[in-house]
Amino acid sequence: MSNHLALDGAGPPANERALHIEELVKRYPTGVEALRGVSLGIESGGFFGLLGPNGAGKSTLIHCATGLAQPTSGTIRVFGHDAIGDYAEARQVVGLAPQELNLDWFLTVEETLDYHAGYFGMPKRERRDRTRELLETFSLTAKRDERTRTLSGGMKRRLILARALMHRPRLLILDEPTAGVDIELRLELWHYVQRINREGTTILLTTHYLEEAEQLCDRVAFINEGQIVAQGSSAELTSAYGVTNLEDAYLALVGRQELSRSQLEGLVS
Amino acid sequence: MSTAQIRFLTLWRREVNRFMKIKKQTIGAPLLETFLYISVFGAALGSRIGELHGIDYVVFVTPGLIMMAWSTNAFANNSSSILQQKFQGAIQDQLSSPASPLELLLAFALGGFTRGFLVAALTFIAASFLIDLPVDHILVLIPALFLVGFFFSQLGVLVGVRAEQFDDIALAQTFVLQPLIFLGGVFYSASLLPEPFQTLTYFNPVYYMINLIRYGFLGYSEASVALSLLALAAATVALFAVNLRLFSRGYRLRA
Repeated sequence: MSNHLALDGAGPPANERALHIEELVKRYPTGVEALRGVSLGIESGGFFGLLGPNGAGKSTLIHCATGLAQPTSGTIRVFGHDAIGDYAEARQVVGLAPQELNLDWFLTVEETLDYHAGYFGMPKRERRDRTRELLETFSLTAKRDERTRTLSGGMKRRLILARALMHRPRLLILDEPTAGVDIELRLELWHYVQRINREGTTILLTTHYLEEAEQLCDRVAFINEGQIVAQGSSAELTSAYGVTNLEDAYLALVGRQELSRSQLEGLVS
Repeated sequence: MSTAQIRFLTLWRREVNRFMKIKKQTIGAPLLETFLYISVFGAALGSRIGELHGIDYVVFVTPGLIMMAWSTNAFANNSSSILQQKFQGAIQDQLSSPASPLELLLAFALGGFTRGFLVAALTFIAASFLIDLPVDHILVLIPALFLVGFFFSQLGVLVGVRAEQFDDIALAQTFVLQPLIFLGGVFYSASLLPEPFQTLTYFNPVYYMINLIRYGFLGYSEASVALSLLALAAATVALFAVNLRLFSRGYRLRA
Protein backbone atom coordinates (compact mmCIF):
# COMPACT_ATOMS: atom_id res chain seq x y z
CA MET A 1 0.00 0.00 0.00
CA SER A 2 1.20 3.46 -0.84
CA ASN A 3 2.17 5.52 2.17
CA HIS A 4 0.71 8.65 0.61
CA LEU A 5 -3.04 8.43 0.28
CA ALA A 6 -4.60 11.39 -1.46
CA LEU A 7 -8.16 11.18 -0.20
CA ASP A 8 -8.67 14.87 0.20
CA GLY A 9 -10.44 16.36 -2.79
CA ALA A 10 -9.73 19.80 -4.19
CA GLY A 11 -12.34 21.28 -1.80
CA PRO A 12 -13.34 24.94 -1.56
CA PRO A 13 -10.84 27.75 -2.25
CA ALA A 14 -8.20 28.57 0.38
CA ASN A 15 -9.98 31.74 1.51
CA GLU A 16 -13.03 29.78 2.65
CA ARG A 17 -11.03 27.31 4.68
CA ALA A 18 -10.39 27.66 8.39
CA LEU A 19 -6.82 26.47 7.88
CA HIS A 20 -5.05 26.11 4.59
CA ILE A 21 -1.44 24.93 4.60
CA GLU A 22 0.67 24.52 1.49
CA GLU A 23 4.12 22.96 1.22
CA LEU A 24 5.02 23.84 4.80
CA VAL A 25 8.63 23.17 5.72
CA LYS A 26 10.15 23.69 9.14
CA ARG A 27 13.84 23.12 9.48
CA TYR A 28 15.49 23.85 12.82
CA PRO A 29 18.98 25.39 13.01
CA THR A 30 20.24 21.95 14.09
CA GLY A 31 19.30 20.70 10.64
CA VAL A 32 16.35 18.63 11.86
CA GLU A 33 13.47 18.87 9.38
CA ALA A 34 10.33 18.62 11.50
CA LEU A 35 7.93 19.36 8.64
CA ARG A 36 8.69 18.30 5.08
CA GLY A 37 6.29 19.93 2.66
CA VAL A 38 3.04 19.55 4.58
CA SER A 39 -0.17 20.49 2.75
CA LEU A 40 -3.46 20.42 4.60
CA GLY A 41 -6.93 21.94 4.41
CA ILE A 42 -9.53 22.22 7.16
CA GLU A 43 -12.98 23.37 6.15
CA SER A 44 -14.71 26.06 8.15
CA GLY A 45 -16.90 24.42 10.80
CA GLY A 46 -15.09 21.10 10.52
CA PHE A 47 -13.79 18.83 13.27
CA PHE A 48 -10.36 17.73 12.10
CA GLY A 49 -8.07 15.20 13.72
CA LEU A 50 -4.31 15.30 13.22
CA LEU A 51 -2.86 11.98 14.27
CA GLY A 52 0.61 10.60 14.33
CA PRO A 53 3.29 9.14 16.56
CA ASN A 54 5.36 11.24 18.98
CA GLY A 55 7.80 13.44 17.12
CA ALA A 56 5.83 13.19 13.86
CA GLY A 57 5.50 16.98 13.57
CA LYS A 58 2.00 17.60 15.02
CA SER A 59 3.03 20.21 17.58
CA THR A 60 5.46 21.86 15.18
CA LEU A 61 2.65 22.26 12.65
CA ILE A 62 0.42 23.78 15.34
CA HIS A 63 3.22 26.07 16.50
CA CYS A 64 3.77 27.28 12.94
CA ALA A 65 0.05 28.04 12.58
CA THR A 66 -0.07 30.01 15.84
CA GLY A 67 3.16 31.98 15.56
CA LEU A 68 5.13 30.00 18.13
CA ALA A 69 7.43 28.65 15.45
CA GLN A 70 8.60 30.29 12.26
CA PRO A 71 8.19 28.22 9.11
CA THR A 72 11.23 27.79 6.89
CA SER A 73 9.01 27.93 3.78
CA GLY A 74 5.45 27.35 2.66
CA THR A 75 2.12 29.07 3.22
CA ILE A 76 -0.32 29.06 6.13
CA ARG A 77 -3.68 30.81 5.82
CA VAL A 78 -6.17 31.07 8.66
CA PHE A 79 -9.63 32.00 7.35
CA GLY A 80 -7.84 33.57 4.40
CA HIS A 81 -5.32 35.54 6.50
CA ASP A 82 -1.65 34.84 5.90
CA ALA A 83 -0.34 33.58 9.27
CA ILE A 84 3.01 35.31 8.62
CA GLY A 85 2.13 38.49 6.71
CA ASP A 86 -1.23 39.20 8.42
CA TYR A 87 -0.32 37.52 11.68
CA ALA A 88 -2.48 39.79 13.84
CA GLU A 89 -5.67 38.98 11.91
CA ALA A 90 -4.76 35.30 11.71
CA ARG A 91 -3.97 34.92 15.42
CA GLN A 92 -7.07 36.88 16.42
CA VAL A 93 -9.29 34.02 15.27
CA VAL A 94 -7.25 31.12 16.65
CA GLY A 95 -7.41 29.69 20.16
CA LEU A 96 -4.65 27.34 21.25
CA ALA A 97 -4.79 24.85 24.12
CA PRO A 98 -1.23 23.53 24.06
CA GLN A 99 -0.06 20.16 25.20
CA GLU A 100 2.20 21.63 27.92
CA LEU A 101 0.62 23.12 31.04
CA ASN A 102 2.10 26.52 30.25
CA LEU A 103 0.41 28.63 32.91
CA ASP A 104 1.92 31.67 34.54
CA TRP A 105 2.61 30.78 38.21
CA PHE A 106 2.22 34.35 39.34
CA LEU A 107 -1.34 34.73 38.12
CA THR A 108 -4.59 33.60 39.67
CA VAL A 109 -7.11 31.58 37.69
CA GLU A 110 -9.23 34.66 37.03
CA GLU A 111 -6.23 36.81 36.04
CA THR A 112 -5.07 34.11 33.61
CA LEU A 113 -8.35 34.38 31.72
CA ASP A 114 -8.63 38.15 32.02
CA TYR A 115 -5.09 38.82 30.76
CA HIS A 116 -5.45 36.41 27.87
CA ALA A 117 -8.59 38.19 26.72
CA GLY A 118 -6.79 41.51 27.14
CA TYR A 119 -4.01 40.33 24.80
CA PHE A 120 -6.75 39.85 22.21
CA GLY A 121 -8.14 43.33 22.83
CA MET A 122 -11.40 42.43 24.59
CA PRO A 123 -12.92 45.32 26.57
CA LYS A 124 -13.18 45.06 30.35
CA ARG A 125 -16.90 44.33 30.68
CA GLU A 126 -16.78 41.66 27.99
CA ARG A 127 -13.73 40.10 29.66
CA ARG A 128 -15.50 40.01 33.00
CA ASP A 129 -18.64 38.37 31.60
CA ARG A 130 -16.71 35.84 29.52
CA THR A 131 -14.46 34.98 32.46
CA ARG A 132 -17.48 34.32 34.67
CA GLU A 133 -19.08 32.18 31.96
CA LEU A 134 -16.00 30.02 31.36
CA LEU A 135 -15.16 29.66 35.06
CA GLU A 136 -18.65 28.26 35.46
CA THR A 137 -18.43 26.03 32.37
CA PHE A 138 -15.15 24.47 33.45
CA SER A 139 -16.07 24.21 37.16
CA LEU A 140 -13.34 26.68 38.14
CA THR A 141 -15.44 29.31 39.92
CA ALA A 142 -14.40 28.15 43.40
CA LYS A 143 -10.74 28.36 42.37
CA ARG A 144 -10.92 31.79 40.74
CA ASP A 145 -8.62 33.52 43.27
CA GLU A 146 -6.09 30.72 43.56
CA ARG A 147 -2.70 30.98 41.95
CA THR A 148 -2.28 28.61 39.02
CA ARG A 149 0.68 26.78 40.56
CA THR A 150 -1.57 25.50 43.40
CA LEU A 151 -4.01 23.80 41.00
CA SER A 152 -4.10 20.06 40.36
CA GLY A 153 -3.15 18.76 36.91
CA GLY A 154 -6.80 18.36 35.91
CA MET A 155 -7.66 21.88 37.03
CA LYS A 156 -4.69 23.27 35.11
CA ARG A 157 -5.92 21.46 32.00
CA ARG A 158 -9.41 22.94 32.47
CA LEU A 159 -7.91 26.40 32.82
CA ILE A 160 -5.84 26.03 29.67
CA LEU A 161 -8.96 25.06 27.73
CA ALA A 162 -10.93 27.94 29.19
CA ARG A 163 -8.07 30.32 28.33
CA ALA A 164 -8.02 29.14 24.71
CA LEU A 165 -11.75 29.89 24.44
CA MET A 166 -11.69 33.31 26.13
CA HIS A 167 -11.53 35.40 22.96
CA ARG A 168 -14.15 33.29 21.14
CA PRO A 169 -11.82 31.85 18.48
CA ARG A 170 -13.25 30.65 15.18
CA LEU A 171 -10.56 27.96 15.02
CA LEU A 172 -9.81 26.08 18.24
CA ILE A 173 -6.61 24.04 18.29
CA LEU A 174 -6.50 21.32 20.92
CA ASP A 175 -3.07 19.73 21.22
CA GLU A 176 -3.46 16.52 23.24
CA PRO A 177 -6.16 18.07 25.45
CA THR A 178 -7.05 14.87 27.29
CA ALA A 179 -3.54 13.65 28.07
CA GLY A 180 -3.53 12.66 31.73
CA VAL A 181 -7.04 13.85 32.58
CA ASP A 182 -9.75 11.82 34.29
CA ILE A 183 -12.75 10.39 32.49
CA GLU A 184 -15.13 13.00 33.90
CA LEU A 185 -13.18 15.93 32.48
CA ARG A 186 -12.62 14.09 29.22
CA LEU A 187 -16.35 13.60 28.70
CA GLU A 188 -17.18 17.13 29.85
CA LEU A 189 -14.62 18.45 27.41
CA TRP A 190 -15.91 16.47 24.46
CA HIS A 191 -19.51 17.50 25.18
CA TYR A 192 -18.45 21.13 25.28
CA VAL A 193 -16.24 20.94 22.21
CA GLN A 194 -18.93 19.15 20.20
CA ARG A 195 -21.40 21.84 21.20
CA ILE A 196 -19.21 24.74 20.09
CA ASN A 197 -18.36 22.83 16.92
CA ARG A 198 -22.10 22.55 16.15
CA GLU A 199 -22.34 26.29 16.80
CA GLY A 200 -19.71 26.94 14.13
CA THR A 201 -16.26 26.77 15.77
CA THR A 202 -13.76 24.80 13.70
CA ILE A 203 -11.75 22.29 15.74
CA LEU A 204 -8.26 20.97 15.07
CA LEU A 205 -7.49 18.13 17.45
CA THR A 206 -4.36 16.10 18.04
CA THR A 207 -4.74 13.08 20.25
CA HIS A 208 -3.33 9.64 20.87
CA TYR A 209 -6.80 8.34 21.72
CA LEU A 210 -7.77 7.12 18.27
CA GLU A 211 -11.24 5.94 19.25
CA GLU A 212 -11.97 9.54 20.35
CA ALA A 213 -10.74 10.87 17.05
CA GLU A 214 -12.87 8.33 15.21
CA GLN A 215 -15.99 9.38 17.10
CA LEU A 216 -15.43 13.13 17.06
CA CYS A 217 -13.66 14.07 13.85
CA ASP A 218 -15.30 14.35 10.48
CA ARG A 219 -11.89 14.33 8.83
CA VAL A 220 -8.56 12.96 9.90
CA ALA A 221 -4.97 13.28 8.69
CA PHE A 222 -2.07 11.01 9.54
CA ILE A 223 1.27 12.72 9.88
CA ASN A 224 4.50 10.78 10.06
CA GLU A 225 8.11 11.97 9.90
CA GLY A 226 7.00 15.48 9.02
CA GLN A 227 4.74 14.51 6.15
CA ILE A 228 1.00 14.06 5.76
CA VAL A 229 0.74 10.47 4.62
CA ALA A 230 -3.03 10.14 4.44
CA GLN A 231 -6.12 12.25 4.97
CA GLY A 232 -9.83 11.77 4.64
CA SER A 233 -12.80 10.68 6.72
CA SER A 234 -12.36 7.79 9.15
CA ALA A 235 -14.34 5.55 6.80
CA GLU A 236 -12.15 6.51 3.85
CA LEU A 237 -8.96 5.86 5.80
CA THR A 238 -10.05 2.51 7.20
CA SER A 239 -11.17 1.45 3.76
CA ALA A 240 -7.92 2.64 2.17
CA TYR A 241 -5.86 0.65 4.66
CA GLY A 242 -8.24 -2.34 4.45
CA VAL A 243 -8.95 -2.37 8.19
CA THR A 244 -12.03 -1.95 10.36
CA ASN A 245 -11.10 1.00 12.57
CA LEU A 246 -8.88 4.05 12.74
CA GLU A 247 -6.55 2.47 15.29
CA ASP A 248 -5.73 -0.35 12.91
CA ALA A 249 -5.27 2.14 10.08
CA TYR A 250 -2.82 4.03 12.29
CA LEU A 251 -0.96 0.83 13.18
CA ALA A 252 -0.75 0.00 9.49
CA LEU A 253 0.68 3.44 8.88
CA VAL A 254 3.45 3.01 11.45
CA GLY A 255 4.01 -0.59 10.41
CA ARG A 256 2.96 -2.12 13.74
CA GLN A 257 -0.04 -4.23 12.66
CA GLU A 258 1.01 -6.93 15.11
CA LEU A 259 -0.19 -4.63 17.92
CA SER A 260 -3.75 -4.57 16.58
CA ARG A 261 -6.35 -5.46 19.22
CA SER A 262 -7.83 -8.10 16.92
CA GLN A 263 -4.42 -9.79 16.72
CA LEU A 264 -3.97 -9.56 20.49
CA GLU A 265 -7.46 -10.94 21.12
CA GLY A 266 -6.61 -13.84 18.80
CA LEU A 267 -3.46 -14.54 20.79
CA VAL A 268 -5.36 -14.51 24.12
CA SER A 269 -8.11 -16.82 22.88
CA MET B 1 -10.07 52.38 24.12
CA SER B 2 -8.86 50.65 20.93
CA THR B 3 -8.04 46.95 20.68
CA ALA B 4 -4.33 47.74 20.43
CA GLN B 5 -4.49 50.01 23.50
CA ILE B 6 -6.27 47.30 25.54
CA ARG B 7 -3.68 44.78 24.43
CA PHE B 8 -0.70 46.97 25.31
CA LEU B 9 -2.18 47.97 28.66
CA THR B 10 -2.79 44.31 29.51
CA LEU B 11 0.74 43.29 28.55
CA TRP B 12 2.11 46.05 30.79
CA ARG B 13 -0.37 45.25 33.61
CA ARG B 14 0.85 41.67 33.63
CA GLU B 15 4.44 42.81 34.14
CA VAL B 16 3.48 45.19 36.95
CA ASN B 17 1.22 42.58 38.55
CA ARG B 18 4.12 40.13 38.60
CA PHE B 19 6.49 42.35 40.56
CA MET B 20 3.75 43.69 42.82
CA LYS B 21 2.86 40.13 43.88
CA ILE B 22 6.36 39.71 45.25
CA LYS B 23 6.79 43.32 46.36
CA LYS B 24 8.78 42.45 49.48
CA GLN B 25 11.46 41.13 47.15
CA THR B 26 11.04 43.51 44.22
CA ILE B 27 10.29 46.81 45.97
CA GLY B 28 10.97 46.37 49.70
CA ALA B 29 14.40 44.74 49.49
CA PRO B 30 15.97 47.23 47.03
CA LEU B 31 14.51 50.10 49.01
CA LEU B 32 16.09 48.78 52.21
CA GLU B 33 19.36 48.19 50.38
CA THR B 34 19.49 51.80 49.15
CA PHE B 35 18.55 53.05 52.61
CA LEU B 36 21.41 51.01 54.10
CA TYR B 37 23.83 52.50 51.55
CA ILE B 38 22.74 56.00 52.54
CA SER B 39 23.10 55.13 56.22
CA VAL B 40 26.48 53.41 55.97
CA PHE B 41 28.16 55.58 53.34
CA GLY B 42 26.39 58.74 54.32
CA ALA B 43 25.94 58.82 58.07
CA ALA B 44 28.76 56.49 59.14
CA LEU B 45 31.53 57.20 56.60
CA GLY B 46 30.25 60.60 55.52
CA SER B 47 30.94 62.20 58.89
CA ARG B 48 34.63 61.29 58.46
CA ILE B 49 34.90 62.23 54.78
CA GLY B 50 33.12 65.56 55.15
CA GLU B 51 32.69 67.21 51.75
CA LEU B 52 33.49 66.33 48.11
CA HIS B 53 33.80 69.30 45.75
CA GLY B 54 32.08 71.45 48.37
CA ILE B 55 29.10 69.06 48.69
CA ASP B 56 28.23 67.01 51.77
CA TYR B 57 29.38 63.42 51.12
CA VAL B 58 25.96 61.90 51.84
CA VAL B 59 24.34 64.39 49.44
CA PHE B 60 27.06 63.70 46.86
CA VAL B 61 26.37 59.93 46.81
CA THR B 62 22.56 60.03 46.93
CA PRO B 63 21.91 60.90 43.22
CA GLY B 64 24.10 57.94 42.23
CA LEU B 65 22.17 55.70 44.61
CA ILE B 66 18.88 56.81 43.06
CA MET B 67 20.25 56.05 39.62
CA MET B 68 21.55 52.69 40.83
CA ALA B 69 18.12 51.82 42.27
CA TRP B 70 16.36 52.66 39.01
CA SER B 71 18.86 50.90 36.75
CA THR B 72 19.37 47.67 38.71
CA ASN B 73 15.65 47.19 39.31
CA ALA B 74 14.72 47.89 35.70
CA PHE B 75 17.36 45.40 34.57
CA ALA B 76 16.59 42.70 37.13
CA ASN B 77 12.85 42.85 36.56
CA ASN B 78 12.92 42.42 32.82
CA SER B 79 15.67 39.85 32.63
CA SER B 80 14.08 37.60 35.25
CA SER B 81 10.49 38.10 34.08
CA ILE B 82 11.29 37.10 30.50
CA LEU B 83 13.46 34.13 31.45
CA GLN B 84 10.88 32.93 33.98
CA GLN B 85 8.11 33.06 31.39
CA LYS B 86 10.29 31.27 28.86
CA PHE B 87 10.98 28.58 31.49
CA GLN B 88 7.30 28.08 32.30
CA GLY B 89 6.26 28.36 28.67
CA ALA B 90 3.78 31.02 29.80
CA ILE B 91 5.28 33.47 27.32
CA GLN B 92 3.53 31.46 24.58
CA ASP B 93 0.27 33.08 25.61
CA GLN B 94 1.63 36.51 24.66
CA LEU B 95 3.56 35.25 21.64
CA SER B 96 0.50 33.57 20.09
CA SER B 97 -1.62 36.68 20.59
CA PRO B 98 -1.99 39.33 17.87
CA ALA B 99 0.58 41.54 19.68
CA SER B 100 3.29 42.89 17.38
CA PRO B 101 7.01 42.53 18.20
CA LEU B 102 7.07 46.26 19.01
CA GLU B 103 4.14 45.98 21.44
CA LEU B 104 5.71 42.99 23.16
CA LEU B 105 9.10 44.66 23.45
CA LEU B 106 7.71 47.95 24.77
CA ALA B 107 5.44 46.23 27.29
CA PHE B 108 8.25 44.05 28.67
CA ALA B 109 10.57 47.06 28.82
CA LEU B 110 7.96 49.24 30.48
CA GLY B 111 7.44 46.65 33.24
CA GLY B 112 11.02 47.01 34.47
CA PHE B 113 10.95 50.74 33.86
CA THR B 114 7.92 51.01 36.16
CA ARG B 115 9.56 48.98 38.92
CA GLY B 116 12.77 51.00 38.64
CA PHE B 117 10.79 54.23 38.73
CA LEU B 118 8.87 53.12 41.85
CA VAL B 119 12.01 52.14 43.76
CA ALA B 120 13.85 55.30 42.66
CA ALA B 121 10.90 57.55 43.55
CA LEU B 122 10.51 55.95 46.97
CA THR B 123 14.28 56.25 47.52
CA PHE B 124 14.10 59.94 46.61
CA ILE B 125 11.15 60.53 48.97
CA ALA B 126 12.87 58.64 51.82
CA ALA B 127 16.17 60.47 51.19
CA SER B 128 14.37 63.83 51.22
CA PHE B 129 13.34 63.15 54.82
CA LEU B 130 16.89 62.34 55.84
CA ILE B 131 18.96 64.88 53.91
CA ASP B 132 18.54 68.17 52.14
CA LEU B 133 18.63 66.96 48.51
CA PRO B 134 18.33 69.80 45.98
CA VAL B 135 17.06 69.48 42.39
CA ASP B 136 19.15 72.02 40.49
CA HIS B 137 18.49 71.14 36.82
CA ILE B 138 15.16 69.40 36.49
CA LEU B 139 15.20 69.73 32.69
CA VAL B 140 18.36 67.62 32.61
CA LEU B 141 17.37 65.34 35.47
CA ILE B 142 14.04 64.12 34.05
CA PRO B 143 15.24 63.15 30.55
CA ALA B 144 18.43 61.68 32.03
CA LEU B 145 16.51 59.52 34.52
CA PHE B 146 14.08 58.40 31.84
CA LEU B 147 16.89 57.52 29.45
CA VAL B 148 18.79 55.63 32.14
CA GLY B 149 15.61 53.74 33.07
CA PHE B 150 14.82 52.92 29.48
CA PHE B 151 18.40 51.89 28.70
CA PHE B 152 18.58 49.41 31.57
CA SER B 153 15.04 48.14 30.86
CA GLN B 154 16.18 47.35 27.33
CA LEU B 155 19.37 45.77 28.63
CA GLY B 156 17.27 43.57 30.94
CA VAL B 157 15.09 42.52 28.00
CA LEU B 158 18.17 41.69 25.92
CA VAL B 159 19.74 39.57 28.67
CA GLY B 160 16.38 37.89 29.45
CA VAL B 161 15.80 36.96 25.82
CA ARG B 162 19.33 35.63 25.37
CA ALA B 163 19.44 33.80 28.71
CA GLU B 164 18.82 30.07 28.82
CA GLN B 165 19.27 29.64 32.57
CA PHE B 166 19.22 31.87 35.65
CA ASP B 167 22.99 31.64 35.81
CA ASP B 168 23.17 33.70 32.61
CA ILE B 169 21.31 36.55 34.31
CA ALA B 170 23.41 36.31 37.47
CA LEU B 171 26.53 36.43 35.30
CA ALA B 172 25.44 39.66 33.62
CA GLN B 173 24.23 41.25 36.83
CA THR B 174 27.07 40.29 39.18
CA PHE B 175 30.04 40.29 36.88
CA VAL B 176 29.18 43.09 34.46
CA LEU B 177 26.48 45.42 35.68
CA GLN B 178 27.37 45.78 39.35
CA PRO B 179 31.11 46.36 38.79
CA LEU B 180 30.30 48.98 36.14
CA ILE B 181 27.92 50.77 38.52
CA PHE B 182 30.17 50.54 41.57
CA LEU B 183 33.23 51.62 39.59
CA GLY B 184 31.32 54.35 37.80
CA GLY B 185 31.67 56.77 40.70
CA VAL B 186 28.49 56.29 42.73
CA PHE B 187 30.45 56.49 45.99
CA TYR B 188 33.34 58.71 44.96
CA SER B 189 34.51 61.37 42.57
CA ALA B 190 36.55 59.96 39.67
CA SER B 191 38.70 63.09 39.64
CA LEU B 192 40.16 62.01 42.99
CA LEU B 193 41.28 58.62 41.70
CA PRO B 194 44.96 57.95 40.96
CA GLU B 195 46.03 56.98 37.45
CA PRO B 196 45.37 54.66 35.63
CA PHE B 197 42.01 54.24 37.44
CA GLN B 198 40.88 57.76 36.61
CA THR B 199 41.41 57.20 32.86
CA LEU B 200 39.87 53.74 33.06
CA THR B 201 36.74 55.26 34.61
CA TYR B 202 36.26 57.42 31.51
CA PHE B 203 35.69 54.20 29.50
CA ASN B 204 32.85 53.19 31.81
CA PRO B 205 29.49 54.30 30.30
CA VAL B 206 27.83 54.28 33.73
CA TYR B 207 30.21 57.05 34.83
CA TYR B 208 28.53 59.45 32.40
CA MET B 209 25.06 58.39 33.54
CA ILE B 210 25.93 59.05 37.18
CA ASN B 211 27.37 62.42 36.24
CA LEU B 212 24.19 63.36 34.41
CA ILE B 213 21.97 62.45 37.37
CA ARG B 214 24.34 64.16 39.80
CA TYR B 215 24.27 67.28 37.65
CA GLY B 216 20.46 67.19 37.57
CA PHE B 217 20.28 67.04 41.35
CA LEU B 218 23.34 68.95 42.53
CA GLY B 219 24.49 71.01 39.54
CA TYR B 220 27.89 69.28 39.66
CA SER B 221 29.34 67.19 36.84
CA GLU B 222 32.82 66.05 35.87
CA ALA B 223 31.82 65.29 32.27
CA SER B 224 30.13 67.27 29.51
CA VAL B 225 26.39 67.20 30.23
CA ALA B 226 25.29 67.70 26.61
CA LEU B 227 27.68 65.06 25.30
CA SER B 228 26.70 62.57 28.01
CA LEU B 229 23.01 63.10 27.30
CA LEU B 230 23.56 62.67 23.58
CA ALA B 231 25.65 59.52 24.03
CA LEU B 232 23.10 58.03 26.43
CA ALA B 233 20.25 58.76 24.01
CA ALA B 234 22.20 57.20 21.13
CA ALA B 235 23.06 54.09 23.17
CA THR B 236 19.42 53.70 24.25
CA VAL B 237 18.13 54.00 20.69
CA ALA B 238 20.77 51.52 19.46
CA LEU B 239 19.87 48.99 22.16
CA PHE B 240 16.18 49.40 21.38
CA ALA B 241 16.86 48.78 17.69
CA VAL B 242 18.81 45.60 18.50
CA ASN B 243 15.98 44.33 20.72
CA LEU B 244 13.32 45.14 18.15
CA ARG B 245 15.24 43.17 15.57
CA LEU B 246 15.51 40.21 17.96
CA PHE B 247 11.77 40.34 18.73
CA SER B 248 10.90 40.64 15.04
CA ARG B 249 13.02 37.59 14.25
CA GLY B 250 11.63 35.75 17.28
CA TYR B 251 15.20 35.13 18.47
CA ARG B 252 15.08 32.54 21.31
CA LEU B 253 11.39 33.32 21.71
CA ARG B 254 9.82 31.51 18.77
CA ALA B 255 11.16 28.14 17.60
